[in-house]
Amino acid sequence: MPPRIELPQGTLDLLILRCIANEPQHGWAISERLQQISNDVLRVQQGSLYPALHRLERRGWIAAKWGASENNRRAKFYSLTRKGQKQLEAERAAWEALTTAVAQVLRTA
Amino acid sequence: MLTDLLYRLRSLFRRQKVEAEVDEELRFHYEHQIEKLVATGLTREEASRQARLLVGGTEQLKEECRDERGVQLFENFLRDLRYSLRMLRKSPGFTIVAVLTLALGIGANTAIFSVIDSVLLSPLPYPDPECLVTVKQNDSLRNIDDIRQQTKTLAHGGGVTIERMDYTGGPEPLQIRAAYVNAGLLETLGVAPMLGRLISPEEDVKGGPYNMVITHRFWREFLGADPNVLGRSLTLNGHRYSVIGVMPANFALPEDETNIFVSLWVAYPEAAPFRGVHFMQTYWRLNPGVTFEQAQADISGIAGRLAKQYPDTEGKRQKTLVPLHQFLVGDIRPALLVLFGAVGLVFLIACANFAGLLTARAIARRQEFVLRASLGAGRLRLVTQAVTESVVLSLLGGALGLALARWGTSLLASLEPAALDRFRGIQMDARLFAFIFTISLLTGIVFGLIPALGATSGNAADLLKESGRGNTAGKFSHAFRNVLVAAEFALALILLVSAGLMIKGFARLQSVNPGFNPSDLMTMHLQLPITRYDKIPQQTAFRRELLTRLNGLPGVQAAMVTDLPFGGNFLDHRFAVDGRPPVPVGNEPTVQTLSVMGDYFDVMQIPILAGRGLTDMDRENQPLVAVVSEELVRRFFPNENPLGARVDFARTNEPHQWMTIVGVARDVKHGTLNEPPEATLYAPFAQSDESWRRWMSLVVRQRGLAQSSGLIPEVKQQVWAIDNQIPVSEIRSMDDWMSVSLARQRFNMLLLGLFAGLAMLLAAVGIYGTMAYRVSQRTNEIGIHIALGAQRADVLKLVLCDGAKLAFAGIVVGIAGAAAVTRVMASLLFDVTPTDPATFILTTLLLATVALAACYIPARRAMRVDPMVALRYE
Repeated sequence: MPPRIELPQGTLDLLILRCIANEPQHGWAISERLQQISNDVLRVQQGSLYPALHRLERRGWIAAKWGASENNRRAKFYSLTRKGQKQLEAERAAWEALTTAVAQVLRTA
Repeated sequence: MLTDLLYRLRSLFRRQKVEAEVDEELRFHYEHQIEKLVATGLTREEASRQARLLVGGTEQLKEECRDERGVQLFENFLRDLRYSLRMLRKSPGFTIVAVLTLALGIGANTAIFSVIDSVLLSPLPYPDPECLVTVKQNDSLRNIDDIRQQTKTLAHGGGVTIERMDYTGGPEPLQIRAAYVNAGLLETLGVAPMLGRLISPEEDVKGGPYNMVITHRFWREFLGADPNVLGRSLTLNGHRYSVIGVMPANFALPEDETNIFVSLWVAYPEAAPFRGVHFMQTYWRLNPGVTFEQAQADISGIAGRLAKQYPDTEGKRQKTLVPLHQFLVGDIRPALLVLFGAVGLVFLIACANFAGLLTARAIARRQEFVLRASLGAGRLRLVTQAVTESVVLSLLGGALGLALARWGTSLLASLEPAALDRFRGIQMDARLFAFIFTISLLTGIVFGLIPALGATSGNAADLLKESGRGNTAGKFSHAFRNVLVAAEFALALILLVSAGLMIKGFARLQSVNPGFNPSDLMTMHLQLPITRYDKIPQQTAFRRELLTRLNGLPGVQAAMVTDLPFGGNFLDHRFAVDGRPPVPVGNEPTVQTLSVMGDYFDVMQIPILAGRGLTDMDRENQPLVAVVSEELVRRFFPNENPLGARVDFARTNEPHQWMTIVGVARDVKHGTLNEPPEATLYAPFAQSDESWRRWMSLVVRQRGLAQSSGLIPEVKQQVWAIDNQIPVSEIRSMDDWMSVSLARQRFNMLLLGLFAGLAMLLAAVGIYGTMAYRVSQRTNEIGIHIALGAQRADVLKLVLCDGAKLAFAGIVVGIAGAAAVTRVMASLLFDVTPTDPATFILTTLLLATVALAACYIPARRAMRVDPMVALRYE
């Protein structure tokens, strides 16, 4: 099992936004997806995930809607709002600038 | 921002639904987790155990979700609110004092604010009121017509004079107030009639139809609000006047009260054509875009031309424009502003008291804060809690203040309707609520925040280490309270000095000798109808007959005069003395002239200083005589004996009919007590040649007048026995006339006195609270003093000195403040300088006594401290 990394502050929001950027997802799917894509490196506890979802919803970046899950159960699906779309782009750009800069420093300093 | 709010609100108000949704969402996650674990080969029990571990504490998670939803803000608020109400219920004494203090401050402020708002700030009840102007000087109809023809800046204009008309045909003859107007007046004010039409220019001519427009009130009270009133007619002054229009309910003339409007040309053709009869108040409407200055220049130019053209009547006359609003509020404005300043001070004192109370409470509750802080409450939460409590108090105070204001304004309106003519009671409108809500809220926040910050300063560890006394935060709060108490005394002294000055001025005014004896005097107004009394002999016969009848009643002395002192009417005549070089026409001096009949000086008890009074023998066909006042002698006969000198009115184009001065009477105040007496000439009615002065006031002296109620019906009966068409009106005692003339001063004095009393009370409560608190804090120390042998008297002195220092500091500042501030009241004071030393000394002593008395109660408690109990206190 690869080592797990604690997420730096604030990055969870960015990851959630990215996960639901293409299609609405429910909470379970978001946590599974994060784990799969990151090859099990990132694991999100639901203790962080759900408060984050509620926070993003309050900020108007994501919207929630009840729908049927893949196995036909009632589940709450989160989708990106237009405001969230913008936020995602901004945060993504900031994140890339940051990592590039950090990598640069690590390589050369 | 909006989504945020909606989201929070939904979370708050659809709480159960939202919670259930969170539950469902988490269960969904949990079940998926179990499925996933089962898929890796675990048993179902093991899978659900591990899933529970992964998920963690559900309740805590839900709480975190709740936090993220932002519900906390509201829930904390509700919790604080409940907690505040519980705490306030637990200390009812504190709550009542705090709420009452604020209610008094806010209530007094609101009452005065609403008066100022409706009297000073609210626009006049006419369309485009800012275009309306009036002229300070009265004018004649002829001049008004000339101005209207010549002006380039004024759109409309008109004049009005209020006269009494006899209304006969009812159960008893009555006098009503009639506005004699020209056809331009009502158009100028710009208000359309509710029914019918206004008087047209074609009707406003000599010999025009007897038409009238009536006020809404007259329509309601005299004509039963008859919807078919148009065309109905009433007998006024012996003519049938037809109603052609009814004005709307809210319409009134800017200054005068009236029942009806009639054309001056129709109702009073004798006076209408004369340029020199300047008896109309005129109102004008500026053309659009014209400035006030342009209009003044225009009208001054016209006045100049008229003066050249008619030097006899217009030679010295100016025309000064005044914006209508300013004209109407001008004389009450200073008083209202002083009152507003006074309630402002009362409000500040109330706030200081409130802050003081909260500070004491915050210090007393420091232990509680310490405990809560050590249990993990943040400073923000503590402060929010304290401020919530003070806001609850201040809003309660505001609500009670609103009730007080309502009661207070109805009291104001009933105190003196004359000065507050346009005050129609408090308007419970949105603006007023906003005013009260805002000041209450701000008071609660500001004065709750300061002590709360003081009491919670320092971190929890420091708070725990200190025992709540002698620490820096406590010292700050003490200093703050001391400043508050001293400030209260300073402000209270300013108010007391102001009130003291007003009271002294009023007492001086009231003690001014009016020149006659007003007690036991009843007065009535009579006007002879022109139809039967247009000549002097008929008038004289009526007057003589009436006085003979009245003087025949037992214990009654009666006389008559054209215009009563304090009755509000004047008639000045231009004046000439025989044997003096003639004065250029238009520049003659004027004197007030009164016609009298009966033994007027004796009935009024006006002393005759030289010569004799007028008697019944000074009648028609006898030598013309006059009695003059001291002031007339001072002005025209400074170093001469006036007796025997001959005087007359300086009428244009009339040969002199000299009157011989036979007596000098003591000066009488005719207008108001605070004005110097005027030069006055008294002449017999029977020798008058002015048949148009058909009115008279009866003065009837009867011992024990207040007890007897039979006099008035008796007089009416005697009048109607001679002529049953003559109304008897304005039945009033002379004392009543005088108190009406003092009403405004009394109003100012009462209010300022009330506010000063309120201020003193609040300041006393403030210093009492501070001292009582301090004694309770120092019980321990005092106990040690006593245990070590201090005398009780020493303890008393200790506490009193402590309080006296605070009061003294405040009073010193207050004296300086009062000396600076009372100057603005100079115009409201009569015969008192704003820095009157006696007033300053007396009010200072009064306040100092009150301060000591307020300190004495806690000082006595300190004196009685039992050292054994005190030492065990900690």
